[in-house]
Amino acid sequence: MKPANQIIGQVLRVGIGVLTAIMIGGVTIGSAQESVSVRATLMTGGVPVDDPSAAAWSSAPPATFPMSPQVHWQNRIQEVTVKDVIVRALHDGKQVAVLVEYADPTQDPDDAAALEFMVGDKKAHFAHGQPMLQVEGGPVNIWFWKNKAAKAVDMNAKGFGTLKAQEHQDVKAKGVYSNGTWKVVFSRDLSTGHAEEDVQITPGQFISIAFAVWDGRKDGAGDLVEKGSQKAVSSWWYFRADAPPDYSGYMYAAIAAALALGFQFVLIRKLKKGQSA
Amino acid sequence: MGALGKPIILMVGMYAFLKFVLPNIPGSAPLPSSLIFLYLLLTASGIVIFETLSGESKDAFWGPIQRFLTGENIGGLQALRYGVFILFPLLVGWQTYGSTAVSDLPPTESRTIHPAPPGEYTGLSNPVPKTPENIMQGKGFYAAYCSPCHGGNFDGKGPAARGYIPAPANFADPTTIAMLQESYLFWRIKKGGVGLPIEGAPWKSAMPRWEVELPDEWIWKIIMGEYDGAHQSPRTWE
Repeated sequence: MKPANQIIGQVLRVGIGVLTAIMIGGVTIGSAQESVSVRATLMTGGVPVDDPSAAAWSSAPPATFPMSPQVHWQNRIQEVTVKDVIVRALHDGKQVAVLVEYADPTQDPDDAAALEFMVGDKKAHFAHGQPMLQVEGGPVNIWFWKNKAAKAVDMNAKGFGTLKAQEHQDVKAKGVYSNGTWKVVFSRDLSTGHAEEDVQITPGQFISIAFAVWDGRKDGAGDLVEKGSQKAVSSWWYFRADAPPDYSGYMYAAIAAALALGFQFVLIRKLKKGQSA
Repeated sequence: MGALGKPIILMVGMYAFLKFVLPNIPGSAPLPSSLIFLYLLLTASGIVIFETLSGESKDAFWGPIQRFLTGENIGGLQALRYGVFILFPLLVGWQTYGSTAVSDLPPTESRTIHPAPPGEYTGLSNPVPKTPENIMQGKGFYAAYCSPCHGGNFDGKGPAARGYIPAPANFADPTTIAMLQESYLFWRIKKGGVGLPIEGAPWKSAMPRWEVELPDEWIWKIIMGEYDGAHQSPRTWE
């Protein structure tokens, strides 16, 4: 028979091991989601690609991003109409839809909006993938919508003056104007066969997204006030499509709790045996 | 439970010291929980070694623990004993869940705010004489080219600033141009955001590459106007 304190010694060693593992694992405290990223909520039954007012959008959390006049490159503009965009996104595992909403006092044929993504692993400057002097950057993928065209253009750029529509057009867009607000839905398959040109959206992974808006109003002389590089832009933010629900955390927790329960049981049994002997 | 009193007081006291006293000592900082745990583990090991040095102290130390765990003659503590047996597995399960759950937070980013300039931009001195006329002219260029973002008051709060991350530099802040040399500003203005090295996250800065639009002489004058307008002086090595 082993003396009781020897048993306790053994038990303590195991216990300290378990406790250490717990403490190193640490406690993860849930944190509030600020507007630093767009979260595409996973839904079933097809995303509302043609309907900015669909009820399904209420299940997608809105994220608000501030806009600035584009100043990085000429021609610049000092003031823009749109100060913020509100963005929501949905996906069903196959298609993704991004709803961009913003205030614009007038509906004009030249009103336009665009999403911009980094393509692949290389970083790209937020201003059209402008070449960086000390870092080799990648291209950007731009999804462009214009009111009078009533469709999206799928484009690429790697620096100002290089913007070009792709040969294969994968993006759709639909804009609806009401009560001084534009709601524009961009949609595409999560992945395409052209990873060199198109952003590929893998559920669970963060990718970079930026926004641009043109108010198509005209000045007294009949010229467009916002056009080309004279537009409202945002900085880079994050975008993530929700991964399918993962319940493995509950399984691991149940296993750990069962092990702890078993450990207690063995400990008490051994101690009682040691005492009675 | 007499033999257990002192160790318990010692552990609680140690925790309180590490958690609440140590961070308030000048020059110190709050300890990460993993470090606190390590110190408490060392304290506990010390107690166990000390208490088991002799046979009597060993029995006096382990006896009460053993009695509590086996539930022998502990009277009113029986409820506490069952509570511990229920709470311990739940705690282990909760901690395991917390450490395996997938984070909802985007990747963390670190950005060096003032990365080192290329060699050719160190130690240059401003070739433009510091006359009231030149400073005046520099302020005029600043108002035209820089103030939309960096602000008419040199505070980084221009009307075009709101959407940009990183925010345009606030020149009135003593941690910006006041701790930099004129040659550093010359580099930043000439090459802009895209001229930053990788640690400066050049893909996010909206700062224009002014060398394609403004002559060097104007840039030197803008630098003078910025220091004067923000009531700062360039850093020097004298």
